[in-house]
Amino acid sequence: MMRRAHLTACVTLLLTAGLAVAQPRAGEWVNYRDAYRAMVLFDKYGGPKNLLHNHLQVLARDKGALGQGAQLLMKGKTVQTGLALDALGRTTLPLLKAAYDENAVLTPNRALGGFSIKPRVSLALRADGSYDEADLRAACEQALGFARYADNSARGRQCVGVRLVFPKDGEAAGMRVRAGGAEQALPMARGAAFAGDADDDFPVVTYRFGAQPTAQLVTYNAPLAIVPLFE
Amino acid sequence: MLDVKYRQTNSPSTITMKPFFALALAIASSAASAQTPATNPMPDGSRDMYAGLGAVSRPRYEGADSHKVSALPVLQVQWSNGLFISGMSAGMHLSNRPTVEYGPLLTVHPNRDESGSGNIVDGVGLTAGAVTAMRAQNRLTGMQDVSTRLEGGFFFNYYLAPEWRLTSSVLFGAGNDRDGARMELGVQRLAVQIAPQHTLSFNAGATIVNADYNRAYFGVTGEEAWQSGNPVYRPGGGIKDVRIGARWNWALNPSWMLVTNVQATRLVGQVRHSPLVERPTNVTVSAAFAYRF
Repeated sequence: MMRRAHLTACVTLLLTAGLAVAQPRAGEWVNYRDAYRAMVLFDKYGGPKNLLHNHLQVLARDKGALGQGAQLLMKGKTVQTGLALDALGRTTLPLLKAAYDENAVLTPNRALGGFSIKPRVSLALRADGSYDEADLRAACEQALGFARYADNSARGRQCVGVRLVFPKDGEAAGMRVRAGGAEQALPMARGAAFAGDADDDFPVVTYRFGAQPTAQLVTYNAPLAIVPLFE
Repeated sequence: MLDVKYRQTNSPSTITMKPFFALALAIASSAASAQTPATNPMPDGSRDMYAGLGAVSRPRYEGADSHKVSALPVLQVQWSNGLFISGMSAGMHLSNRPTVEYGPLLTVHPNRDESGSGNIVDGVGLTAGAVTAMRAQNRLTGMQDVSTRLEGGFFFNYYLAPEWRLTSSVLFGAGNDRDGARMELGVQRLAVQIAPQHTLSFNAGATIVNADYNRAYFGVTGEEAWQSGNPVYRPGGGIKDVRIGARWNWALNPSWMLVTNVQATRLVGQVRHSPLVERPTNVTVSAAFAYRF
């Protein structure tokens, strides 16, 4: 009985103190150190990655909470900056020793109902909007190489294609594949940019490798991201 | 060990990496687990440190029927060169691959005397009042004290997937004769986020020890039998215990975290039949605040 009383008292004290120090907007922040740890893995990867981009993505709990003007604010003792988020909630996280040592905090500039972060690797975009399948395949292989480096469960997977993600308000239908002198429009669908994203209403086009090795993809509007597909 | 990990997902269409961190607490269990926090890449010259205080309810010694509540200091420090201190363990990460962790490991194995086991790191014991009344039946009375020992060895962890980690460690030097050896094997399901700033993690494992370890902590020599009234017992080596646990981490704000851990351990094999063991299955519960520096 005495033992239980002691334990109950300890737990009560801990919970009381916990509530006292809890902040009102729980869930609206992420430690810079944790974001750094997530992102630096790509930086340290020694394999080929020149055809890839690495971003930090903010995943808002409230669907649609992100939008134009959304930012991630980085606040430390001396480090204060705003990181603009793109339409997919992504930004490039600067890897700063000062922010790490100051245990800086990342907070959104608007209420998101809670959020989490994820590192996201995508294929580099080309200014001319034209992509040879061989180039896409090479970039996808780079992404797969990194995935295998970071995750043992990716070792059995293969590159099978890419998913192009377009802005919601853009003219997304302008995407075609050229092969053997013929040109064909690729079907558009609605879906999430990355697996696990809450927002699954982006115009997306999925292109699978193999049918036409010399094919060329032509986009008439710049995609937001080209995501590698592994199976 | 209490540690915290952010879930890392992977899907055919995305590449995700490992946003994780680990927090280990200085739990003064009667056989301190080897604690190896996950690799923590950081800028050169930086460090990541947690320190705090809480409370733990644990068996008076391994196999005891009675519990005691003690203060629980919290300490984990990791440096950019791979060195770490994690509770009662210290070591160094030597791997530069994110899916494998290995390196040397040192652990302080708590002492055991008549009153029970486990000096806590910098802790202040708050022993429950029932202990005095139990002295007459204390199976440790008349047993030789086992001194605190520094164990040395190595650890090796392997990630099946970012959220699943197999852990292992081998440590030597336990017991008064410093000839006790133990190997810990485990599997961890890393943090499942149940709500913003709240994560749950699960682990299971087993400890395999040599005969010298078992005799040091669970054996009864002839002299001890004469002094304590326990029958002579000379166990061999083998699986000492199996365990299962869960932990809940609540990040209260960017600097403060509340870490709660529950772990059930069952002594098995020859250890279970030791005359010192009053109760083979025991539960350890702890809660502590940790501040991130």
